[in-house]
Amino acid sequence: MKNNKRFITACLCLAAAIAICCVTGANFLKARELPMPVEGPGVTEVKMLSDWFEGLKGTHADTPVYVLQGSEPGGKMLILGGTHGNEPSGYMSAFTFIENAKVDKGTVFVIPYTNRSGMTHNDPGEGNMQYFTLQTQSGPRTFRFGSRATNPIDQWPDPDVYVHYPSGQRLSGSETRNINRAYPGRPDGNITEKAAYGVAELIRTEDVGLTFDLHEASPEYPVINATVAHQDAMGIASDGCINLLLEGIEMSLEQSPTNFHGLTHRELGDFTDTMAILMETANASQGRLRGRTSQKQVMGGQDKFYEKSEDLGMLYVPWTVNGLVGHPIEERCGRHLQGIYEYSQAYSNANPDKQIVYSGVPGYADLFLNADPAYLGGSWLGSYLK
Amino acid sequence: MITIIYRLIVAMVISLVGWNLFTEEKITNQLNCAMVLIPLILRMLMIK
Repeated sequence: MKNNKRFITACLCLAAAIAICCVTGANFLKARELPMPVEGPGVTEVKMLSDWFEGLKGTHADTPVYVLQGSEPGGKMLILGGTHGNEPSGYMSAFTFIENAKVDKGTVFVIPYTNRSGMTHNDPGEGNMQYFTLQTQSGPRTFRFGSRATNPIDQWPDPDVYVHYPSGQRLSGSETRNINRAYPGRPDGNITEKAAYGVAELIRTEDVGLTFDLHEASPEYPVINATVAHQDAMGIASDGCINLLLEGIEMSLEQSPTNFHGLTHRELGDFTDTMAILMETANASQGRLRGRTSQKQVMGGQDKFYEKSEDLGMLYVPWTVNGLVGHPIEERCGRHLQGIYEYSQAYSNANPDKQIVYSGVPGYADLFLNADPAYLGGSWLGSYLK
Repeated sequence: MITIIYRLIVAMVISLVGWNLFTEEKITNQLNCAMVLIPLILRMLMIK
């Protein structure tokens, strides 16, 4: 009788465990299906990164590349969004570009999820959300909130020390899954290095002259509201920065350190002929001083702890911009998109035979300065999404 | 190769925990076993 009862309770516990596995497993599997941009008026082709490096085919690192080819020949530009899946202004800027841009001269390649595997999971220890929803032209659209690193399901185990190829630089083991420490990548490396190699191959094969990598950082991080450029790109970055200042955007400019390896602004400049530029905006959800992560914090850029931190002089960015508290997604995407515009203009001026001319993409004024404050925090950006 | 070995180890741990689940007298210990099984099953299937 006792054995019978024990068997029944064991069966019930096992059934409950299997039911939980089914529900949570379905949720985790669904997270691998990423929301994709709607093809805008300028999209001429959607390819995969494996079209440039076959070693990515069939892996979670293979990622869509949107090609926007102009009616006239010109220069070539690459926009990398989603290098880090927990930095939404990067991939939301890429979405906004893809859905609105019309290219007149040259070709623009846009990768919304550069580390696609990193978008398929979360950093549970951060208490981050899995999704966020924006009101767009077509109604509510759900977007993923991912992780800084490649999904450990796709690449494990992490070594104690990550040794960067080919420099031999030694970093913390977890950085082995950070694609922005993996450039220039290698064809026989781990999946993160292969993805980085795919990006470098795209640049080399297509002769991409200008590359942007879009990021966010915590407000207490020194390199913020900043552009970091490879030494070859410093000329156009300086020109672009002056124009950004004239547009009312405070942007600091730093040259890529020569002894910090694996990053786009160092390795893509060294190992390809592209001019590599990285931009950072201020995101409260990235920081250590923040409160609970929520959509209001991630999209609205508001956090009462950062308001206090500003009073204590702990931040590297003003927490009140244009009379508004915090850094809403519109301000962050506006900075990225205006930056892309100004730097590409500077590139076109410096290379008249390789001009890149596009229109239709909202800039800083459209997205932030002229926005209705009541709609900031996602809805205003959503009005530019299909 | 290392992933296959890893999954075999996880499968072995699952079978041992499952054995415990059916041999434990106390329901609280059975519940503990069931909770331990959840991440192990998801990992063996390489879902999470």
